[in-house]
Amino acid sequence: MTTTSERLLSVAPSPAFWVAVIAYTAAAAALLVVLGGHTKLRPLALALVGLAFVAHGADIGWRGTQHVHPAQSVREALGLLSFIITGGYLLASTRYRLTLGGAAVMPVSLVLLVVARLTPAGTAPEDLSTLGRIHISLATLGVGVFALASALSAIYLVEERALRRKRFDTLAFKDKGAPLEALDRLSHRLIWVGFPIFTVALVLGAIWVSKLGESLDRPEYPLAAVTWIFYAALLVVRQVYGWRGRRAARLTLAGFAAALLVLFIYLVRRMAG
Amino acid sequence: MSELFVVGISWRTAPVAVREKLAFRDEELTGTLQAMTAGLPVAEALLVSTCNRVEVYGVAKPGSDATGPVRAFLATQRGLAPADVADVLYDHRGSAAVRHVFSVASALDSLVLGEAQILGQLKAAYGVASGAGTSGPLLARCLERAFGVAKRVRTETAIARGAANVSTVAVDLAKRVFGNLEGKHVLVVGAGKMSTLAARHLYASGAQRIVVTNRSPEKAETLAAEIDGIARPWAELERLLVDADVVISSTGAREPILTRTLFKRVTKARRWRQLVVIDIAVPRDAEPAIGEFDGVYVFDIDDLEKVVAANLAERAKAAEHAGRIVEHEAGQFEHWLRTQGVVPTIRALRDRFARVAERELQKTLDQLARKEHTPAQQREVVQRLVQLVINKLLHQPTTALREAPPDEAGMRAEILCQLFDLSPVEPAESAEPDEPREPPQALDRVAATPASPERKAAT
Repeated sequence: MTTTSERLLSVAPSPAFWVAVIAYTAAAAALLVVLGGHTKLRPLALALVGLAFVAHGADIGWRGTQHVHPAQSVREALGLLSFIITGGYLLASTRYRLTLGGAAVMPVSLVLLVVARLTPAGTAPEDLSTLGRIHISLATLGVGVFALASALSAIYLVEERALRRKRFDTLAFKDKGAPLEALDRLSHRLIWVGFPIFTVALVLGAIWVSKLGESLDRPEYPLAAVTWIFYAALLVVRQVYGWRGRRAARLTLAGFAAALLVLFIYLVRRMAG
Repeated sequence: MSELFVVGISWRTAPVAVREKLAFRDEELTGTLQAMTAGLPVAEALLVSTCNRVEVYGVAKPGSDATGPVRAFLATQRGLAPADVADVLYDHRGSAAVRHVFSVASALDSLVLGEAQILGQLKAAYGVASGAGTSGPLLARCLERAFGVAKRVRTETAIARGAANVSTVAVDLAKRVFGNLEGKHVLVVGAGKMSTLAARHLYASGAQRIVVTNRSPEKAETLAAEIDGIARPWAELERLLVDADVVISSTGAREPILTRTLFKRVTKARRWRQLVVIDIAVPRDAEPAIGEFDGVYVFDIDDLEKVVAANLAERAKAAEHAGRIVEHEAGQFEHWLRTQGVVPTIRALRDRFARVAERELQKTLDQLARKEHTPAQQREVVQRLVQLVINKLLHQPTTALREAPPDEAGMRAEILCQLFDLSPVEPAESAEPDEPREPPQALDRVAATPASPERKAAT
């Protein structure tokens, strides 16, 4: 481990990072206030999300100038992942009213960003090959898309539950969020987008590991495969048996939980060295 | 000054049995309005006649009270004795009338708070009054402001949010699932009145196709013809359910029709596509258990009523905020009204002054143009001009003040002092009418010795 890599891994967060943290917090709070009935604040809340997104992007860019690649480690990838999630949320909210979803997604983005920047850097392999970088980039992108699909599925489940149980006085009902059919369809499309990316990432990962000569018996490898199997199964049952709605949403969330577990194990392993 | 007034009857004061007696048909409005402005001390008038209210909004002729005659007029027009409807008719004048008009336009006075029809009805009534030539500047301003207030109330408060009747709630619930109903297929099971209404609402919201099925094919045909739908035989029910997106059920059957066993087959054949079942029949047509199938959402009449009640409660909460907006806007309108009263006076005063000054100035310029003047002469001419203008302007008020009847002289003098910010120094010395002779003399002296006006003023 050279001193250079030590320095690279422990680049301090930029001012933009702190702006993003404050904007994420404010956006989450504003979205909660909007949910509480102050609908006039909706544009302000979305503007705050936009600000968080821009600041977050600026932070990633700034790290780039310090030679910290967004896909050079799991820690960096987490920051990129939450950036993708926020961007996806912004994109979706141009079409639908996703106040409830935003109130759920913003804290997730915030936590991911903080974890990515403020956890101890630990030690990382210095010789990150191009193959490794592509693997991490694609895996992050794939998981980011799955994360968005999962967020939509989670909103679907909450809204569906309120509607089915006729909880007409709950927030989920009053918020008049995106219609169920649209949530279901959008989530499905996102999985179609994320699945091939994730598949390639998985294959490259396997090649990378075998090139490094490491053994395949670490728990994250089968878990990553489990994620892949979940989503593959989802696409099959949806296409062949017409599964949709509740069951599809649950399967989406299950797949994402497995993906999160993989990320978590990676992170712990890196921090532990 | 002419004053706004309201005379009317509404659901608040009278049952429909009384309201209907006072109602006017559309084609009667113009004649009634014209009769009102021709025969009563009414300068401007508008008549709005809906199922929930019959009201006259008008402007009384200056100095007269119009509400009494209008009350009597409304009764006699409908062949009733004025005394019979005295208790159910109400009237408002001035600021109360403005508040009333604003509240009505904002649907705060409506049976269903925040409903949208009244605004359209008011606009139509205003159109009729304009056409009849009975709407004048004051009424026009008041109504236009009322429409603005109504818009503000609708956008700034939750008064119009949330469906307020069962069939719109049905549409609302379907939209929760499908977003928009374009291209969706609606199946009406049974031919009840409520299902007709709900089907119409769904169709108006963009639903593509309405299929009606009923045990008796004739009834299905009739209903289908009524709502531009297609009638299908009862035997096809299962297949129709597979094709539908929204089902409205209101049969008179004693036993459930949309049963669990039926839906087990139907949902599978649909591949669990979302299906909204609105069951407004009592006893219910749908077994509650079908709501457990994936993608099936069942709402019975109680659910719909519950949503309506919740929405109305929300509207009632918003009414308070809306009331504050109306109050504020009415205050602003009254302020405008007050300033509007003095504007013509101000304009006339300025015109008069300008005319006098213009005339004298022209004379002086002519005089200067006729022959050469030395600077000293020019100065004298200008001084004389100023003096002349002042004298001319003050002549009329001075005379009016001097010749005022004794009981008014004091008041006029006081108003003058206020308007010109005067503080007469010797009011006690001579309160006699010949006292005002003083100012012209003083002015003469000022004109004679213009170089020291301050000293003169001090003496």
